Amino acid sequence: MATATGASPPMLARLKAVQGRVVEARVEESQVVAQLVRRCASGDAVAWEEIVQRFHRRIYNICYRFVGSGDDAQDLTQEVFIKVFRTVGSFDGEKASFNTWLTTVTRNLLVDNFRKKRDDRATDSMDATLGPEENGSTLAERLASDAPSQQVHIESRERREMVHRALQQISPDLREAVILRDLQDMDYREIAQVLKVPEGTVKSRINRGRAELARLLQRTYRQAL
Amino acid sequence: MLVEGKSGMQCAEFDALLTEAMDGALNGERRERFEQHKTSCAACQTWSAEVTNGLAWLEEMEDVVPPPILVHNILAATSGAAGQAANAEPRASAWERLRRQVGAVFAPVLTARFGMSMGMAFFSITLLLDMAQIRIKDLTPHNLSHTFYSSQNKVMKYYENMRLVYEIESRVRNLRNAGEENEREREERMRRQEKNNNQTREQNQNSEPEQSQPNRFSRIQNVQWPASLRGSEVYFGELAKQRREI
Repeated sequence: MATATGASPPMLARLKAVQGRVVEARVEESQVVAQLVRRCASGDAVAWEEIVQRFHRRIYNICYRFVGSGDDAQDLTQEVFIKVFRTVGSFDGEKASFNTWLTTVTRNLLVDNFRKKRDDRATDSMDATLGPEENGSTLAERLASDAPSQQVHIESRERREMVHRALQQISPDLREAVILRDLQDMDYREIAQVLKVPEGTVKSRINRGRAELARLLQRTYRQAL
Repeated sequence: MLVEGKSGMQCAEFDALLTEAMDGALNGERRERFEQHKTSCAACQTWSAEVTNGLAWLEEMEDVVPPPILVHNILAATSGAAGQAANAEPRASAWERLRRQVGAVFAPVLTARFGMSMGMAFFSITLLLDMAQIRIKDLTPHNLSHTFYSSQNKVMKYYENMRLVYEIESRVRNLRNAGEENEREREERMRRQEKNNNQTREQNQNSEPEQSQPNRFSRIQNVQWPASLRGSEVYFGELAKQRREI
């Protein structure tokens, strides 16, 4: 997300060349994927395995960032691929890219899952423990601690964990927009297609989601100090 | 947020351009106006700072590595159908496609469990037909109608016979009841008669002193009254009584 203000003409030319190559690579990638999808729809198991290998990490990450739990993310990723396997014949490459279609399937499943679990949704605060692998200490305690865990990589890991937990606190509408834009690097048009809302709404949700996250994390820091 | 700064930009427009500005996609005059508004509007400045902070936090995030078993699980969950699809012929004939479609429709019933149930049902029906002495050749439409009418006749006859038997039984029962009733009435009548006789006898016994009265009064009692004067003994009794009083 580097800014491009005040760039000189040679730099702009290089930037455009890079952008061009990225676009070419994306087109090539989308053609390969389209070919795989066609083979998969005609019953090619090798093509299906290739699709799973290519996309499972991305889908797992979306699920993990949305639901917050590794086990749930695994189950949901599996469900997404089972659904994709059953409905891959209905994919229309003219309407959207396979990536957008796959993200839409994932998002719909996540929303369904969220609605199902809404009633008993965990309302744990930032003071809640992180889980068994984190020795049961709270984020606030960890941030306030002077123990050797203040090493750089551990700090970085803790910060990521804290952001991950803060992400679970913001509303699902904002969360999904932020995940797709800032963690999955999708463009606004694709996100609008997936969320079925106008691009302006997508941008507004992204801004609100980022601001909400910043406020939550700031509050946590204040509590820790 | 409808504040309009020196740039002529409103806060809503600033918000709409914020994502583009952060992506580095805002250039030229739009960028200048955006920056001017940001400088002049404190609310938008704070808002922009918060959004930028949030993005900075999110940029620290890295992809998580899914567990290695995930791919295996996904392929295992979809392997049955995938294996079938891989082994399938690329182009099946029309007959084959039709067979598959029909097979897919009847797939739920073409199972071992369903076959066993059907076998048991067939065995039970055969046993019942055998017990009822019905042969398969009797089940043609002609034979079935013949069987139906003959069965109907049999049933009707049986019904008529049963009705006759019940009627006779009913008549006999009525006659028997009537005889018993007569007997009871006769006994009742006899009992009543006997009772009357008893009452009469008792009355006679009670009226005995009055009859002996003439004996006390005179010798008239032993007189043999002629038939024309019968019933006059009371008069003469009274007469004798008066004479004695005198």
